[in-house]
Amino acid sequence: MQSANVLLKKIVRSSVLPFAAQHGMKKDLFPLSRTLSVSFCLKQDNSCSPSEKLDLDAWKNVMKSGLQEEVSEMVSEPRELSTLAAAREILEMWRLAGRSVPENISEEQLKTFVECPSKSAKKKYLKYLHLKELYKKNDKRKMDEKRERRLETASKTDETRRNSFVCLWANCMDRAYSWRVAQSMIFGQPLVFDMSYEKDMSVREVANTVRQMVLSEGCNRRSVDPFHIHFCNFKDDSLYHKEFIKHYREAWGKLLITVTDQCYTDVFPKDKLIYLTADSPKVMKTFDHNKIYIVGSMVDRSVKTGVSLARAKRLGLETAALPLEKYLLWNTGAKNLTLDQMMHILLTLKDTGDWKKALEFVPKRKYYGFVSKPVHELKKNLNLINTLKLGKRQEEVRKQFAKNYSKKLTQK
Amino acid sequence: VQPPEKPLQAEEWNRLRESFQSPEIFEEVMFNSMVRCNSPIDVAKSLLTHVAKRNGDIAYNLLVKYLALCVQQGQTSEIRDVYDIMKIRFRVLESGAYNLLIRGLSNSDQWRMALTLLEEVKKIMIPSRTNYESCIKAASRHQEMNLAFELYHEMLAKDLVPTLDVLQAFFDFSRGMKGAELQKELFGILLYLRENQIYPHKTFMRSIKLWFESIPGGNWRGHLTSIKDSGQCPVCNHQLEDSDLTEEEYNNLRERIIRDVIHGTDTFRKTSPQEFEAFQKFVEDRFPFDIVIDGLNVSHIKPRKMQCENLFDAVNCLAKDNARLLVLGRKHMLVNSSNWKREIMKEMQNKADFFFAENISEDDAFLLYATLRSGKHCKFVTRDFLRDHKACLSDSLTRHLFRKWQLIYHVKPKKMFLSVFIQQPALCYDCVVQTTGDTWHIPYKDTFEEKYSYRVPRKWLCIQQK
Repeated sequence: MQSANVLLKKIVRSSVLPFAAQHGMKKDLFPLSRTLSVSFCLKQDNSCSPSEKLDLDAWKNVMKSGLQEEVSEMVSEPRELSTLAAAREILEMWRLAGRSVPENISEEQLKTFVECPSKSAKKKYLKYLHLKELYKKNDKRKMDEKRERRLETASKTDETRRNSFVCLWANCMDRAYSWRVAQSMIFGQPLVFDMSYEKDMSVREVANTVRQMVLSEGCNRRSVDPFHIHFCNFKDDSLYHKEFIKHYREAWGKLLITVTDQCYTDVFPKDKLIYLTADSPKVMKTFDHNKIYIVGSMVDRSVKTGVSLARAKRLGLETAALPLEKYLLWNTGAKNLTLDQMMHILLTLKDTGDWKKALEFVPKRKYYGFVSKPVHELKKNLNLINTLKLGKRQEEVRKQFAKNYSKKLTQK
Repeated sequence: VQPPEKPLQAEEWNRLRESFQSPEIFEEVMFNSMVRCNSPIDVAKSLLTHVAKRNGDIAYNLLVKYLALCVQQGQTSEIRDVYDIMKIRFRVLESGAYNLLIRGLSNSDQWRMALTLLEEVKKIMIPSRTNYESCIKAASRHQEMNLAFELYHEMLAKDLVPTLDVLQAFFDFSRGMKGAELQKELFGILLYLRENQIYPHKTFMRSIKLWFESIPGGNWRGHLTSIKDSGQCPVCNHQLEDSDLTEEEYNNLRERIIRDVIHGTDTFRKTSPQEFEAFQKFVEDRFPFDIVIDGLNVSHIKPRKMQCENLFDAVNCLAKDNARLLVLGRKHMLVNSSNWKREIMKEMQNKADFFFAENISEDDAFLLYATLRSGKHCKFVTRDFLRDHKACLSDSLTRHLFRKWQLIYHVKPKKMFLSVFIQQPALCYDCVVQTTGDTWHIPYKDTFEEKYSYRVPRKWLCIQQK
């Protein structure tokens, strides 16, 4: 009886459902739960409704019938789950429900997920993992496509090219770059990265910082006249260190930079140091080739104003900010730039001393354009453009609002 | 897409699906629009049947969307069926489905089932406050007040903030009920409002009033009123609680401000230790002050006027009644410039004490310190709401103390005509729910939405026992 039952279920599931559902005999064969019989009754009631040919509850039967075996399998499994396994199951369900959740998650990531302090933190973390996974997948797809294309072209043009150089570009360039950086380590101008902000940052911020520093180191290496990079206040086995090793692997030991746990004030004379920080009241006018500039290696996703300025104040160092206001008509965004942008700007200044060229590296979304006329004139134009763009009416509404708002403020 | 009005046959669904631009997500999009248009569930069922026959299975997200439709229309038996199916098909459910199930079942006669579901949710995560809300409302709707309060306390223990709706439901459904225990619980809710400085809105206030008046043998009477500036209730002549901070609160606040706002993680961020020490010494030598003025802020009140003239007017005006003034400024004010004339600065320094901070230091922190050091009577003048400083405080209790203190001691220059300062009278009574045992005074908001967090309601509900 049992086996016959299973067999029948399989048949029912595979093909002839609409037919089977209309047969009363099914009821006898399936020792199913209460709801099924209820829905059968409902079905009978429905049969006189306008949609007589349609069995509206057929889907329930399908869902239930396919499951008897799986249920019995599940019962034998131990029901007690560890927190991690439970979290994994929840994630799976969220994925099924269509939330942005990664498909694969490592044990370590799962642990981080469980340890997130709040629901929103969990959601954020999952979204981050999800996007990361998407990017990775896309990159891989593109790589595969590229490889295929390359294979195709390679099979077509198989003729030997004659050339006076042996094709060793990458290797040669590497050596040339290294030679230049080695030169700069003896004769070059120092540039200090202050690595003392680990406690001010979250783990993700540290990872971002290191990523930006790897990029800066790369562009420094490729420049015509590189800086001699110093990582000061660098503690071994710090989070920075671990992240660097993740990026560079064994090349970390061979990098042509100076890494020290000393403070820059111990390495260099104090009067030569200038701390670059966006909070500085002083604005940099020219790039001084005899000074040693310090950049704080910090990514600040939350609002922590004045952290690097406080450091400079504590050590009694001179500070400076880039003259962004002077040269750019600022649009939105914070005035602090990423470390690699900073590196590009400093390198360009060092080579050319041309502010306009250097500030090309400020992200375009952050400013409207370079200042050629007096700033107030530009702002007037900008207002005009905005008025036209928004339409006259809206502008009036906004003014009215502003007026009322200030009135309210003063009334209070 | 527009969902069809009647259930469709498989072929018809197929045709629709083919004509849709991306057939893979056809069902999802269709279900979304069904939920939006509140289509009859028969249509949804026919689509589910179609999907089930084609794939032999229905994806979880479609089931959840169907469930949403059922909940929206209160189809209890369908909700139960879907739950049964989900239960055998999946080992655990996720929060979205549970939210829908609990919401759907709590509104039906099978509301006890929602409670068991709540227990299930607890096994895998902390239920959301709306989960609790549904269950509590369901329990109190069926007059199971004990159960409702049990859930309510459980929710508070989990640091979930109850919605005003839940609190209101308690008052609505206990109307006319007897019991000392119940009364105690509801008074507890009023004290919860007091402790968290929550102001009920108008309809909630009405529920409270009606409940009080319905207590059998209680003889409570409620009146809507507004409190006099002196803090006296015009209905029962009761004097409301003083708004002053207690000695302990005051000292606590001062210490916290020094620790969190001025020093914070790094004293150098707002000032420097040398400067702060110098300022401390300066204040110790001269305090107590009566009024502390934020010089830079005040100097910007009238943009047409020279900045030092603005400040001069303010100092002159405030110096009248022999008040001891302290003006805080920055060093750059001492440099003779188009906005800061040396002679005027000199003259002002005869009338008030001045402290000039470094140009890159934050003078607000000094403002707070000097005011708090001088004692309770001292006021400060600025237009700044000091929100960023409030945000530096580490816990919400201290933040609230700060808010209260600020309301009392904030003397804001109003709109000035001919530079005359009109000091806004600070409220001398405390604007919170309060009781003396046989009276209750409950401030309430006119509208549901809170427009300005710094505004305290002016309307009150006075309840007294005859």
